[in-house]
Amino acid sequence: MKVNVLKRTKNELKIEVEGVGHTLCNILQRKLLEDENVDVAGYDIPHPLASNPVIYVRTKGNITPEEALLKAVDKLLEVSEEFSKALEKALKT
Amino acid sequence: MEKDGNTMRLLIKGVDTPFINALRRNVLAEVPCMAIDEVVIIENSSVLHDEIIAHRLGLIPLKTDLDSYNLPEECSCKSEFGCNLCRVTLTLDKEAKDGTITVYSGELISENPNIVPVSDAIPIVKLAKGQKLRLEAYARLGRGKDHAKWQPVSTCTYKYLPRINIDAESCDACGKCVEICPRKVLAKKGDKIEVRDLLACSLCQDCADVCPKEPPAIKIGWEENAFIFGLESTGALPPERIMIEAVKILKKQLKEFASQIEVQKA
Repeated sequence: MKVNVLKRTKNELKIEVEGVGHTLCNILQRKLLEDENVDVAGYDIPHPLASNPVIYVRTKGNITPEEALLKAVDKLLEVSEEFSKALEKALKT
Repeated sequence: MEKDGNTMRLLIKGVDTPFINALRRNVLAEVPCMAIDEVVIIENSSVLHDEIIAHRLGLIPLKTDLDSYNLPEECSCKSEFGCNLCRVTLTLDKEAKDGTITVYSGELISENPNIVPVSDAIPIVKLAKGQKLRLEAYARLGRGKDHAKWQPVSTCTYKYLPRINIDAESCDACGKCVEICPRKVLAKKGDKIEVRDLLACSLCQDCADVCPKEPPAIKIGWEENAFIFGLESTGALPPERIMIEAVKILKKQLKEFASQIEVQKA
């Protein structure tokens, strides 16, 4: 996985992420949009076969887009942790 | 929820659609399993070409041991050919001495008794009298995104959890909805319509369409953030293991992404 920055201002970030697909981008987008400090969040895969996803985040200014992304990842890790615990419990019975 | 051999159904509540879809995508494309990847044909006088036989061998599901084997690209040997930690050799040596025979997957001899075909009864090729097939096949771990032979599941799906509301006041139990339902979800009990098997409902809305009342006395909807997750393993890995691996891989992807963002931030 490699991240290339395409555009960066105080409250905007546009990155190209090599080696990922809808799997990661879609859950990130959802979690970013749930964050009230985030103004716009989205991703696009310009060509389904030949390109990497481009993630765009714009915040309302009180946090940086990087912070918003990290917060989203943290929340997702929490959800996954919770899910794997529930899964293991359910599989045992 | 329920498990039967290689198939498993889970009732998952409290996660959103992107998360469940990420899990499904990871099960299909990222969870590794074993498959024959390279074949050295020593002798082939059968009617099938070498490459057709190699392809047929590739599609045979193999029982996988994820803990003792590495993915070739992550293996410490760094060799293109592979080592004992990332490759299993299977051999086949058959000759039709008298009469036509069929060569089955069970006749592949593996160097590791744990890595064998899931089924012994998959036909590979028919040999006529005097024809010979001798080959050496190398199985490796791989991911479904590179080739479907490395998919640990044959199907992996999720659907919404149905919610059926029957308005007891306007329903006169005419029974039309019971008759039309293709999945036999509903049942008539006395002068009431009852839900017999909620999970079988496919949300087709036929019952609501056929209801003579206006508005219909039966309403089909679905629960928010609750899913029925279905998984059918090829037998390469137990379905429970596939789910656990899929979550593990998702966590790994998230952590890697976070560390990349940290780098950019600095």
